[in-house]
Amino acid sequence: MTDTSGGDVRLTGISKTYGSFTAVHPLELTVPQGSFFALLGASGCGKTTTLRMIAGLEDPTTGTVFLGDKDVTDLPPYKRPVNTVFQSYALFPHLNVTENIAFGLRRRGIKSVKKQVDDMLELVQLGDFAHRKPHQLSGGQQQRVAVARALINHPQVLLLDEPLGALDLKLRRQMQLELKRIQTEVGITFIHVTHDQEEAMTMADTVAVMNGGRVEQLGAPADLYENPNTTFVANFLGTSNLIEAEVLEAGSDITVTASGAKLHLPAGRCSTSTPTRSGGKLLVGVRPEKISLAHADDAAKIPEGRNRITGRIADSSFIGVSTQYVIDSPVCPELEVYAQNIERDARLVPGAEVVLHWNPEHTFGLDAAQSMLAGTVGSAGTEEAA
Amino acid sequence: MSIPLRWLRRNLITIAGLITLAYLILPNIVVMVFSFNKPNGRFNYAWQRGSLDAWKDPCGVADMCDSLSLSLQIAAWATVGATVLGTMIAFALVRFRFRARGAINSLIFLPMAMPEVVMAASLLTLFLNMGAQLGFWTILIAHIMFCLSFVVTAVKARVMSMDPRLEEAARDLYAGPVQTFVRVTLPIAAPGIAAGALLSFALSFDDFIITNFNAGSTVTFPMFVWGSAQRGTPVQINVIGTAMFIIAVLVVLAAQLLSNSRQKNSAKP
Repeated sequence: MTDTSGGDVRLTGISKTYGSFTAVHPLELTVPQGSFFALLGASGCGKTTTLRMIAGLEDPTTGTVFLGDKDVTDLPPYKRPVNTVFQSYALFPHLNVTENIAFGLRRRGIKSVKKQVDDMLELVQLGDFAHRKPHQLSGGQQQRVAVARALINHPQVLLLDEPLGALDLKLRRQMQLELKRIQTEVGITFIHVTHDQEEAMTMADTVAVMNGGRVEQLGAPADLYENPNTTFVANFLGTSNLIEAEVLEAGSDITVTASGAKLHLPAGRCSTSTPTRSGGKLLVGVRPEKISLAHADDAAKIPEGRNRITGRIADSSFIGVSTQYVIDSPVCPELEVYAQNIERDARLVPGAEVVLHWNPEHTFGLDAAQSMLAGTVGSAGTEEAA
Repeated sequence: MSIPLRWLRRNLITIAGLITLAYLILPNIVVMVFSFNKPNGRFNYAWQRGSLDAWKDPCGVADMCDSLSLSLQIAAWATVGATVLGTMIAFALVRFRFRARGAINSLIFLPMAMPEVVMAASLLTLFLNMGAQLGFWTILIAHIMFCLSFVVTAVKARVMSMDPRLEEAARDLYAGPVQTFVRVTLPIAAPGIAAGALLSFALSFDDFIITNFNAGSTVTFPMFVWGSAQRGTPVQINVIGTAMFIIAVLVVLAAQLLSNSRQKNSAKP
């Protein structure tokens, strides 16, 4: 082990079953020291259980939890150098802000806590609230107390269990930046559990997308977004247009046919399981914002070498910075296109015949042997918790 | 609308409140006033003239202070017993799933629902069949029994509303099982436990029916008052009653002041 990996969190073969229900399938996961790591998934995907196993609040059925080189699997939570920010904050209602923050220090027998508590209050910008009780604070303030209460112990790892779930949208955005700032400032490993894909992508260096107790894919946010390995990831992170197609010509540049339309995509952007040989069935994926719309009358003006599909605008909704179109096309019944509102073409109204075109480089390929709807809103496993 | 009617309409709530208050306090005031009486005969039922005799010699009546001391002791021990047992039962009922949990949950309410005289008679039967010596211990056991349901009810409500994550948070913040209980669980459950304890003390101290059945030759304060009411009521009974009333009011006031000043402190920036 080198110095840099001394504080990594390593989960090896870790799993959790409750009776006949498997919450987490055997899982291998390494979180590098000092990183901001997000476990992303819908409720019931096993992300919180995984977090609780790292905290020691849940005993794994199989497997080992390593903190650095140390096996902590059998240590109770109060003996692990790990602290948690709970979903409902779990601030002690009978103690004021100062005593809440000092709780961990006091339990470890540290008498002079004032200086450290003051530093923490400053870090989370709550200096004026030291003597308030938790119920006298707003949601955002409580959340910051919860963060300070955990961070003051200088844990090796800070675990955050949907810490922003109870805040309204504006405050959530603000706290995301705040948490990111704090993480950069203190340099502690953060493991953040969330069902909000935007939150995960904004904050984390590395995101692990979980589904049904397994990690579907792990990587940097941009990488996950651009090169999803499964339809679940493609649909759960943002929106994807998936088009069923068959390979015509293999090679580094694959040519496929989808209901007559010829499309190109780089072999390098196909997931490993995608059949790229001639005759293979695959799903061609393209993000809605990569597609440009042209009125059918202007089809001739579209540059050569771009993927193109014809269709008709079924619906359009104006949302300020962009306009979202739903296109009815012979290759795919509902294609989504997001167009920036820079120069609006007045002819692009529902019913208009259009040509969709995009750079083939922006196309990704997935194995067709999986549900196209996995990870979409309303499909099994993605509902919000009640 | 005429002026008096309008005045009545505006102040009706205050008037109703004052009448209710008078209704509650009047008996206490009568007890208090008559503690300064100097009755002519053995009965302290008619006002004669003011005197401090009874206050100067509160234990002047034979056996009364013994019975008072006994009642206070029984009340104290019954409170301790019922509070400890009741708190543990409440935690068990809320935190764990076990066989007969539902049955115990409803059995706990039985002493509250059953007529006291029935309970008293059946307890006596039980004690006699067991060949138990009636006295201090049988009274104590009986008192703990009926106080238990009140403690369980009060503590259960509190524990049920407690977020289990608070204890997880404590364990996460380096508190072992004992520390977690002492530092987090107990302080949060404390108002419920205190309410149960206060109720227990009050119920035990003035219980007459169950005590009378199971006391044997032992005499508690309520039994003494009852007994002396047949033969004449010494003024000292009013003295004790007044003192109890004043102590209770002072305790309530002190608690109120304490929580007020705490709130003020915590509101300071």
